[in-house]
Amino acid sequence: MLRPENKRPVFFNPVLIQMPVGALTSIVHRVTGILLAAGIPFTIYILDLSLQSDQSWSRVVHLLDAWPFKAIAIVFIWALAHHLLAGVRHLLGDVDVGSGLISARRSAWMVNLGGLAVGLLAAGALL
Amino acid sequence: MRFSIFRFDPERDKKPYMQDFEIELEAADRMLLDVILRLKARDDSLTIRKSCREGVCGSDAININGRNGLACITNVRELKEPVVLRPLPTFPVIRDLVVDITRFFEQYHSIKPYLINDEPAPERERLQSPEDREKLNGLYECILCACCTSQCPSSWWNPEKFVGPAGLLQADRFIADSRDRATRERLDDLNDVYRLFRCRSIMNCTEVCPKGLAPSRAIERIRLALVKDSL
Repeated sequence: MLRPENKRPVFFNPVLIQMPVGALTSIVHRVTGILLAAGIPFTIYILDLSLQSDQSWSRVVHLLDAWPFKAIAIVFIWALAHHLLAGVRHLLGDVDVGSGLISARRSAWMVNLGGLAVGLLAAGALL
Repeated sequence: MRFSIFRFDPERDKKPYMQDFEIELEAADRMLLDVILRLKARDDSLTIRKSCREGVCGSDAININGRNGLACITNVRELKEPVVLRPLPTFPVIRDLVVDITRFFEQYHSIKPYLINDEPAPERERLQSPEDREKLNGLYECILCACCTSQCPSSWWNPEKFVGPAGLLQADRFIADSRDRATRERLDDLNDVYRLFRCRSIMNCTEVCPKGLAPSRAIERIRLALVKDSL
């Protein structure tokens, strides 16, 4: 049966709804989680390839020397750093550390900037 | 001052649309509701729900420039132009800025928002120490305007299963009440992957609460109570 409210429109457009820094951090936390999970098969493949023989090890080194792979590595290092920091922020929040609004805003900024800083360091080291 | 307001008349419009308005602010225009009412005097089809006009009843909760709030306690002169007014997100629109929050109240009722105490009532009243009464501060003040629940991503995706920040704040209000005797049942009811644990501590609820309350802290207290209870 059609519920009466089904005939009624709903305003719901996340792009038009303001996202405070905590919400943005949460979205990035999810995106980095998906990226990291999606990268696992590739990482295992590269690890397996590197362990097969001296030649395959050289192939992996050569492969990772190409700039597209370096760019991917930088993105993954940023994703790992952001995801790790955001996870620690959640764990601390669960035990009542930094879960007030002001400190939560501050820690969300720290997670975002910390992730970016690690990504930039990785870029500096790899490029 | 320029406004862009969400319009929908179920008897006339097939789809909602945004309508632009322009109005000169007068000295007496302090809050957003003052200006909306002046716009309504100009176009009486413009619909908003309001009652106390001082942040007590929670009727005029709307989405103001992307952020939920009460029109009656939002300083109109601090808003960025054009001021974009929309109904509370995710609730069915009855007309213009008025939404149907039945679903919100269903979740609120699900936490049994009343004192449960089967012990014989004393002759005068159930007394409470000042310290125990203190524990209710920051919980009892909720006016059920739905600003928090409507800005909560966990409620967006699971409105039927997740109690939502307002309901959980009220749950904590009764768990914290020294006169209530149903703490065990209340915690058992909330110990659920959706009802309570769908909260991801995003804290949009606390960001937008027009009464300055912290539903996210209340949710955290319930989680901690469940952990303590399980040890």
